[in-house]
Amino acid sequence: MFIGLDLGSRNVKIALMEKGRTTRLLEFDTVSFYREYGRKTGGRLTVDFATLGLDVTGAVITATGYGRQAVNVRDARIIPEIKAHVSGAVHLTGLAGFTLLDLGGQDSKVALVRQGRLVDFLTNDKCAASTGRYLENMAAVLNISLEELSLHYLDPVELTSTCAIFGESELIDKIVEGHPVSSLAAGVNYSIFKRIHPMLAKLSSDTVVFTGGVARSGALAEIIRRETGARVVVPEQPEYAGAIGCCVETRGNE
Amino acid sequence: MPKVGLTTTVPVEVIYAAGWVPVDLNNLFITGENPQALVEEAELAGYPRNLCAWIKGIYSTVLKQRDISTVIAVTQGDCSNTHALMETLQLAGVEIVPFAFPYDRDADLLRLQIEKMMCHFDVSWRQVDEAKERLNRVRGKVWELDRLTWQENRVSGWENHLYQVSCSDFNGDPDKFAADTDMLLEEVRSRPPVEKALRLGYIGVPPIVGDLYQYLEERGARVVFNETQRQFTMPYAAAGLVEQYRRYTYPYGVFFRLADISREAARRNLDGIIHYAQSFCFRQIEDLIIREKLDLPLLTLEGDKPNRLDARTRMRLDVFLDMLR
Repeated sequence: MFIGLDLGSRNVKIALMEKGRTTRLLEFDTVSFYREYGRKTGGRLTVDFATLGLDVTGAVITATGYGRQAVNVRDARIIPEIKAHVSGAVHLTGLAGFTLLDLGGQDSKVALVRQGRLVDFLTNDKCAASTGRYLENMAAVLNISLEELSLHYLDPVELTSTCAIFGESELIDKIVEGHPVSSLAAGVNYSIFKRIHPMLAKLSSDTVVFTGGVARSGALAEIIRRETGARVVVPEQPEYAGAIGCCVETRGNE
Repeated sequence: MPKVGLTTTVPVEVIYAAGWVPVDLNNLFITGENPQALVEEAELAGYPRNLCAWIKGIYSTVLKQRDISTVIAVTQGDCSNTHALMETLQLAGVEIVPFAFPYDRDADLLRLQIEKMMCHFDVSWRQVDEAKERLNRVRGKVWELDRLTWQENRVSGWENHLYQVSCSDFNGDPDKFAADTDMLLEEVRSRPPVEKALRLGYIGVPPIVGDLYQYLEERGARVVFNETQRQFTMPYAAAGLVEQYRRYTYPYGVFFRLADISREAARRNLDGIIHYAQSFCFRQIEDLIIREKLDLPLLTLEGDKPNRLDARTRMRLDVFLDMLR
């Protein structure tokens, strides 16, 4: 059995794989996960798999993610995030040539994949205003759910703030101006697109594979489709691409 | 001997000919006890947060360094932030000597700039040529160190960086610097060559983070080409001083730099290139030209404050090395 552990900034994702098939997927809030199932011993993170209800006897554990540099997971092979996400995306889509867009809690990653291999990549730097955390904040300002936010892409309001926090007050201004929720939500989704567009343009392909929790936003997928003309492929359960990629990476080495 | 601060490499021959001691303010800032505190001091003085940390660090460094009352500021060929740096230092009573590298590498304009500087320091061409000969003997030792880095694989990327970057001012004492370089040369010649490491080029301004080279080497990759640092060693057998500073690539356009980078990348058999650009620097724009023109895998790194590599940058380096393998 292969276990993939993707330690994200907002959520920890775990994938179990046996005989090339994903058998279980689990997700936990990152802070609760570390509090309830993690313990640091000798500078390494020990995960209490038993309390998680997982029997890891004989399992090969591979980890990646936000916590990868900060914590060292005991008994696990550690792989770089982008590598995990690329492997996961190739496995989940069966495609070999595409541009991977992974939008997570704090990360935006764009990777160019040719013949199943990573050939170039870009990531956000110094600023996380194009990520899931931003969407969460904006949904809270609009007092709507993430699901509701992810429905709208038509008639967007223009949001111009460089800073995600100032973006909140800009959005409040737009609410006061009386724009409908659909336009406000579309504006938020477009502002994410505008931040990632230069990265997508630099590493463009006919097909964009969209993963990470933000890929659940149908509106954003539609905006990418409309604005770039690319085919946008969102795998089922896109937030697990990294965890599944961990399993695939190790399985490939067997 | 009086000291003169430099904001970047200038024809240092003139300063040595005059019997002054040049001090590269970048080196002084970054090797200080707490460079981050210097950046914060400049912000307290009113320098904006979203501005290159090198400029801020240099500002506070000069104000702290009471024995430096004259600064040669490069007004063209580096960045325009230097203009405001000059003005704020002037406000604090520092004497400023401006120096401009002509954008088009015009020999007459460059000669005029050098002669104006010679006039300021009251030296003749004979004295300057003597200083050039003296300094070139020291530079020759560092050229050899660079050769031992890429051709014999006996010198680490950090040593290559440190000794080359020091050639902007020779640490204020060319004889001592030459002796130090001789010692290192002797030591590295008996080292076993490093084999089977990825060969990387480092282009752009020297890094503001200290642990990049070590981090790469721990992961089986070596920097065997430091673009700007190498330029500081003036690795050309130029006939005269004007020609030497015309061949020096750093202050001129990116296309002139690219010719040097491509030539060295081929000669040194590089696997990939790291392009470092400082946060808020105009050179971040040039990254798009470099990406288009260089036919090698390229990782663009951005550094802001003087610190160690952050987790995100380490992750990006890991993936880049992984991609090259």
